[in-house]
Amino acid sequence: MRERIADWRFRRRLAALGKSGQELLSAYAGARWPAPDLPLREAALLALDFELDGLARDAHVLQAGWLAFDTAGIALEGAVSLDIRSARRLDDGAVTVHGIGEERAREGQPLRQVLEPLVSALSGRVLVAHGAAIEVEVIERTTRACFGEALPVRAICTLELERRLHPNLVGTDAYRLASVRARYSLPAYDQHDALSDALAAAELLLAQARRLPADVRLGSVLRG
Amino acid sequence: MASELSEIRSFLGDLSPFDRLDADRIAAIARRVTVRYFRAGDTILEAGSHNDQLFIVRSGSVELRLAGEELTMRLGRGGSFAFPSLLRGGEVRNTTTALEDTLVYCLPGEEFHRLRSECDAVRDYFNESETERIRSAVRDLRLKRPSTLQHATIEQLLVHKQPVSCEPGLSIADAATLMSERDVSTLAICEDGRLVGIFTDKDLRKRVVAARTDFDRPIREVMTAAPRTLPRHATAAEAMALMAAGGFRHIPVLGSAGELVAILSATDILAYLGDSAIDTGMLVAKAAGPQALVAAARQIPEGFARMDAGGFHAEHTMRFTSALGEAVHRRAAELAEAELGPPPVPYALLVFGSLARGEQLVGSDQDNGIVMDDRVDESGREYFAALGARISDLLDECGFVYCKGGIMAKNAEQRLTRSEWSERYGRWIANPDEDRILRATICFDMRAVHGDPVMAQALHEDVVDKARGSGLFLSFLARDAQRSKVPLGFFRNLVLEKSEDGQKVFDAKAQAILPVIDIARTFALAEGLAAVGTIERLEALAAAGRMARGDAESLKDAFLLVSELRIAHQAAQVRAGTAPDNAIAPAALSPLERDYLKDAFSVISGGLDSLKRNLAGGIA
Repeated sequence: MRERIADWRFRRRLAALGKSGQELLSAYAGARWPAPDLPLREAALLALDFELDGLARDAHVLQAGWLAFDTAGIALEGAVSLDIRSARRLDDGAVTVHGIGEERAREGQPLRQVLEPLVSALSGRVLVAHGAAIEVEVIERTTRACFGEALPVRAICTLELERRLHPNLVGTDAYRLASVRARYSLPAYDQHDALSDALAAAELLLAQARRLPADVRLGSVLRG
Repeated sequence: MASELSEIRSFLGDLSPFDRLDADRIAAIARRVTVRYFRAGDTILEAGSHNDQLFIVRSGSVELRLAGEELTMRLGRGGSFAFPSLLRGGEVRNTTTALEDTLVYCLPGEEFHRLRSECDAVRDYFNESETERIRSAVRDLRLKRPSTLQHATIEQLLVHKQPVSCEPGLSIADAATLMSERDVSTLAICEDGRLVGIFTDKDLRKRVVAARTDFDRPIREVMTAAPRTLPRHATAAEAMALMAAGGFRHIPVLGSAGELVAILSATDILAYLGDSAIDTGMLVAKAAGPQALVAAARQIPEGFARMDAGGFHAEHTMRFTSALGEAVHRRAAELAEAELGPPPVPYALLVFGSLARGEQLVGSDQDNGIVMDDRVDESGREYFAALGARISDLLDECGFVYCKGGIMAKNAEQRLTRSEWSERYGRWIANPDEDRILRATICFDMRAVHGDPVMAQALHEDVVDKARGSGLFLSFLARDAQRSKVPLGFFRNLVLEKSEDGQKVFDAKAQAILPVIDIARTFALAEGLAAVGTIERLEALAAAGRMARGDAESLKDAFLLVSELRIAHQAAQVRAGTAPDNAIAPAALSPLERDYLKDAFSVISGGLDSLKRNLAGGIA
């Protein structure tokens, strides 16, 4: 029931977006969107990660990395990694973590020029991220700011999925991306590069999908 | 973007053969990768299917089984598979299964083929035939070995600095007289101080004597005109390459003004490289007493290490080291005779095992025995008991320590008459049992190093003849050979032995060298071949049509490859002053060497299988 409502709301938001009069957004709204009943293995997915300059609600986006894939495999051919221009003085803590200095942030592309290819890439695809709430929130916030409309996004959160697959692990560390990946014998990756993190989440989903029934439906793994 | 796909690029960049490619190429390859994930037990690729991708294990491990059955190989992180199918047009022969949860990188076949055509290292690495891979491995190891040859200049090698020369108009007879008087084998022919030709002993034989040329003709007509030369600062390696390429043994060396400085001969190079080995040989042969012999023999390991550093090929190092070992045995027997008086009847000192095969390295124990003429009486036996004991004791002092299995002349069992030896071999062959075979196999590699060679040879022929017809005996040998645990790869060290300090090691002798020796010996005995050396045996088997030429070559290459690694390992131990052994820690090998070893293991396993199929079934 909840699934049906979520899908109905998503379709309604797409329909509204279709009327925005902006070509990019209309194309997004008019894409072939997978039905919740589609088996997960047939769904088109997009792993996405943003690096932000802090944890605040209005944190600036410094880098975006994404790659399209499905549960059969991740082709790296279309992987994208873009730095985003930000004039704000960067939050010192976050900068040291990401290794993206102010200078590099100033050299990046304007946010809008990064969002446009991202919106196209996400058309007809389900977003995949570890802790997808952040990516969904940033997309909604930044598209509202740039295009006047918040982009409706469907997402699979690998963290949420992991809580379902392994519900009884103790401590929040057990659900961090690196710990979860290690449980599936996935290699240790350096974190805090947007594309590396997106790849890490995509690989994790391949591993998780192999633990789900072969015909598991897309709707049953979408984040609520 | 500098950091893009850095995880994939750094992984590939550290992996052979991709580590030979430049950063841009690796970045481009990373973009062509498809990442796939398999759970333990999943089939990744099925025999009989069609494949168009190269697979590289990123994490986890896989197992390859030929036609889904016989285990071919296990691969862990960094292992590549399915390239043989790409090379033969897509047909998959091995079923590959994930042993653990496994992440693989797949590279499209077209990218694989492009890489092979663009980069020699990639082509050599991904070679369809294991033979070619091992051959390129041997070449690779030799290239990488820091060689004395690369550093020595010709000037350091020259022994005779003043070349003997004459004018081109001099008669052949006078030229030969000059060579004879000055005791040179090569004459330089110069005109106005400029080199115009050389004339050697060989030319005298071929172009003068055999061709019945008139000795009064000028030397100009029979010399080699316009010979290839080298400048004095050229390296020894260049000189050797020129000799090898041109098939000649003398090279005139020119100074900066083009003047003739000297004539370099192949002997000069050999003397430089092997001089400690040759000196040791001289010291052994001339040792006046036991002390001198022990002192000379103790230099063998150093000569061995020097041969390794000099870039000697494995087969030459083994042959040279065996020659020195043989000289020590011979001299020990001579000295023992000198102490005990002349032998009452003819006898021969026999050596067994690696020394008999001419494959000895350093740190071997002694394996020997005495064969006496049948006419020996009781007092004669007492003489040989004393002689055998003396020889064994002397050899032990010389570094050929007592044989733990008792195969030495000190032991009465190893001092028999010609007939008694024949009967003993006869019993082994007619009534084999596992225990006896285990102890007796090395006795089937036999050679006389001192005394009456005819008696020893007759015994050997007799043994080979007896063995040939005995299916039961051969099946015991073939089954005994199956005991060796040839590794399937360096898979999680599972197949490795434990060394004394508990470290996981690869026993290069037991796990790779002995199986090849067993394969060659068993097939050779089955065929009645008298050859004793492993390479000789393999070659004889191929020549006799008993083994496919390609199989024999592969086994030979595998044998040489492991020997190279084993020699390098032991030479390093000698240099470090530790006792040489065969326990190679996988960590001490480069990833490439491990890959090559995997190929060698697979060739050796194939040889053992063939032995099992062909000969082990002879038992009822």
